Amino acid sequence: MLVLLKGGRIVDPVHQRDEVGDIWIEESRIVAAPQGRQPDVTYDVSGKIVMAGAIDIHSHIAGGNVNTARLLLPELHRGHSPRSPALPLATGRWSTFETGCTYATMGFTTVVEPAVAPHQALQGHLELADVPILDKGALTILGNDDFLLGLLRDNENQAAITDYVASTLAATNGLGLKVINPGGATAFKYNARSFGLDDVVPFYGVTSRRIIEALQQAIMDLHVPHPLHLHCNNLGLPGNVETALATIEAARGKPLHFAHIQFYAYGSEGDLGFSSGAAELAAAINAHPNVTVDVGQAMFGQTVTISSDVLRQFNGVSTAKPRKSVIFDGDANGGGIVPYLYRETDVVNAIQWACGLELFLLVDDPWRVFFTTDHPNGAPFTTYPNLFALIMSRQARAEAVARQPQDAVALTTLSSIDREYTLNEIAIMTRASPAKLLGLTDRGHLAPGGLADIAVYTPDADIAKMFRAAHLVFKDGEVVVRDGRVTHYRWGKTLKVKPGYDPAIDRRLTGYYEQHYGLSHNMFAVPDHVLPHAEPFQEVACSR
Amino acid sequence: MSEAEVDGKPASIEEATECAAAILSRARLPVIAGLGTDIAGIRGSIALAERLHGAYDHMHSARIFSDLDVLRQFGLMFTTPNEARLRADVLLCVGPDLTRVWPQLFERLAPGELPVFDLAQQKRKIVWIAPEPGLGEIAGVPVVPIEAPDLVTTLGGLRARVAERPVALDDAITQKLDAAADILRKARFGVAVWGGAALDKLSVEMLQGLVLDLNKTTRFTGLALGAESNAAGAVQASGWMTGFPMRTSFGRGYPDHDTWRFDATRLVESGEADAALWVSAYEAETPSWTRHVPLVALVPAEAHFAQPPAVRIDIGRPAVDHDGVDYSREAAAIVARKASHPSNKASVAAVLLRIAQQIGGAL
Ligand SMILES: [Zn+2]
Repeated sequence: MLVLLKGGRIVDPVHQRDEVGDIWIEESRIVAAPQGRQPDVTYDVSGKIVMAGAIDIHSHIAGGNVNTARLLLPELHRGHSPRSPALPLATGRWSTFETGCTYATMGFTTVVEPAVAPHQALQGHLELADVPILDKGALTILGNDDFLLGLLRDNENQAAITDYVASTLAATNGLGLKVINPGGATAFKYNARSFGLDDVVPFYGVTSRRIIEALQQAIMDLHVPHPLHLHCNNLGLPGNVETALATIEAARGKPLHFAHIQFYAYGSEGDLGFSSGAAELAAAINAHPNVTVDVGQAMFGQTVTISSDVLRQFNGVSTAKPRKSVIFDGDANGGGIVPYLYRETDVVNAIQWACGLELFLLVDDPWRVFFTTDHPNGAPFTTYPNLFALIMSRQARAEAVARQPQDAVALTTLSSIDREYTLNEIAIMTRASPAKLLGLTDRGHLAPGGLADIAVYTPDADIAKMFRAAHLVFKDGEVVVRDGRVTHYRWGKTLKVKPGYDPAIDRRLTGYYEQHYGLSHNMFAVPDHVLPHAEPFQEVACSR
Repeated sequence: MSEAEVDGKPASIEEATECAAAILSRARLPVIAGLGTDIAGIRGSIALAERLHGAYDHMHSARIFSDLDVLRQFGLMFTTPNEARLRADVLLCVGPDLTRVWPQLFERLAPGELPVFDLAQQKRKIVWIAPEPGLGEIAGVPVVPIEAPDLVTTLGGLRARVAERPVALDDAITQKLDAAADILRKARFGVAVWGGAALDKLSVEMLQGLVLDLNKTTRFTGLALGAESNAAGAVQASGWMTGFPMRTSFGRGYPDHDTWRFDATRLVESGEADAALWVSAYEAETPSWTRHVPLVALVPAEAHFAQPPAVRIDIGRPAVDHDGVDYSREAAAIVARKASHPSNKASVAAVLLRIAQQIGGAL
């Protein structure tokens, strides 16, 4: 079928387009305007904005810890809307089905779950398989696992570490590698209550710095497109901007992605010893082109923090609201679930909110700063439309700032910043650069040959309204959203890499698992055929 | 041998699934109960319940909710058998039937071996509250027993003594609790292991309070043994599919969770449920309700019913007759398992798919 989107404002930063024009779709792809053929269907999108489908690189939408959060907080997601026969289970609030629908409604077509524990990978993929419409990806967690720490303690060569990373990515069907408070979760099992970049993991004698270095090198050696995805030490602590700055230096000029950097942008000034260090951090990011960051913006309201940084979550238990938390000393990282309420009247929360916005606005290059709330840790992804408004409108920011404690505002630079994101910059940050960061050459742009993942918005003075409900969304060339409503389900792919490696490491792992766990290593595999839809995966090439 | 029966008489699978669809779709509030099946079967059951505006429950819900209610009212600290095996220097066992619930428990936790990742590399210690009779030692490790005629009182007493608060118990018991409290406080990575019929919500909450207190100075965590027939898998799949665990109804069109209202046995006994689908693929279990209700049963050939169900379909056992995905107690994860004796017996998911197709398609 040949489809024409006629006369929209096409915003495609990859091809430096921001102009009125047509987009042609045939089957799942964008095609060049065909000679002498009439479209089977024409959508008049004149006056509308046409962008590629948005890509979220870091959103906790699946896996054991997310599910524990669902079970912990039934009171936060009671249902109310009747079912739609075309969308089974979508009225189950916070269900995987609702997640896919809500993202699609906002024009997102690809979302990456950034924390899948190797031993929980099958559950992660079962959950992702039940997220309709979207393509998905999963980042596999290493860095607190005893096997890796053992390799480092024994000074094994980098090749063994690299093979182990490749084997784990293959077994877990990961799109990339995540490391979360490297060594900190293991140190917590030895009763450490804090863990910094140069602290040493008991029993293993290795530092966080060393773990990062080894995993970063492995990802480079394997040519995995997405750089090592790092959740640093000391998340959330006053003065932790020093940790972030030191870790940027620790990257040694090589590619490294810093997750939810807002949570590391804190100085220690002011009456509470808590202030914004975002300007200093943004300057460091600007000065280090090897570094990419996603923001992890905090927004006011009830949420729940879900993190495999079990040490930090344990330390956060006393701040839980409602007052109940789960702390899981799992294999390797484990995790913690701590409900949290960000309050506009709270000085610390207001500073956190400002830090995120400062980072968005002070990092110069929209290709290196990514749009996230670390869903749901800074805020649920449903707040994205409001966040777009805040970064695109200094007036929207000024109105929000006026409601906040002025002693908090004074500890940030936010009021001095005039920048407003343009639509083109939004398209870079949410489409073009995520595709580049993840190595997804088939999306994030609107040129012929690309996947027809397309979002069409109706411009509105109310920016949040425009982004909350797209006029049309196409996934793989098929209309899935019309006038802000999902029309039906289709089942997307989960994107993964498959780097090559020396299989000798698998024999070692088999022995290690039998000796230590008394279990077979391949017990934790993710066979395609047990997932509910055929051909669940799409491979992303590791470039050479 | 027939693979299906309708009203006690042999029927083809087509006839049986057609009849099942008719019974279930005619009902005002059908309940899917048992739910002893693999993840694919649970997924099919929940999707079918939604389509039918029915409710669903698991046969071992009562045991699951004594833990889950504590989790969602109070919070929980827990670990995996792997971590307990490799790190626990102290095990605090609670309940007289742990090895009945999980016969391989001590094989899995290997208390007789030194904990591989423990810095001190000392012999492990085991304290057992409400001990199993006759278990004076486990793999050469002596058990420090604490008899507990009333679990909550004993756990409360132990918690008080760990915190060095006074207790109103007789001296002999207090001395025993003090000796146990001393072992717990000195643990480097202690694990409280609990499960079985003796533990209600209050005792689980008291035990978790003790674990939290111990974490003020050292590391301590928990290991719940849970229940059989993939109950933990049902909790997980239900969680991601609806946001809630089982005992959830779609009577109002959206998932509505209530552990009392949507208890399958209560729904049938009260007459609120007017048809039932019983699923038990792991064990030849049959429903515990006594009231007659039009019943569709997906069970192994050995299952015995006093009255033949309206529809009975023989199914295979996950990981025996067909590949299956379920929650593994030994791994504390959902895992895929290959069929050990592949057969052509139908899986629950396959039968549910045929039923769903009769009434407008499946998920
Ligand atoms: Zn995150």
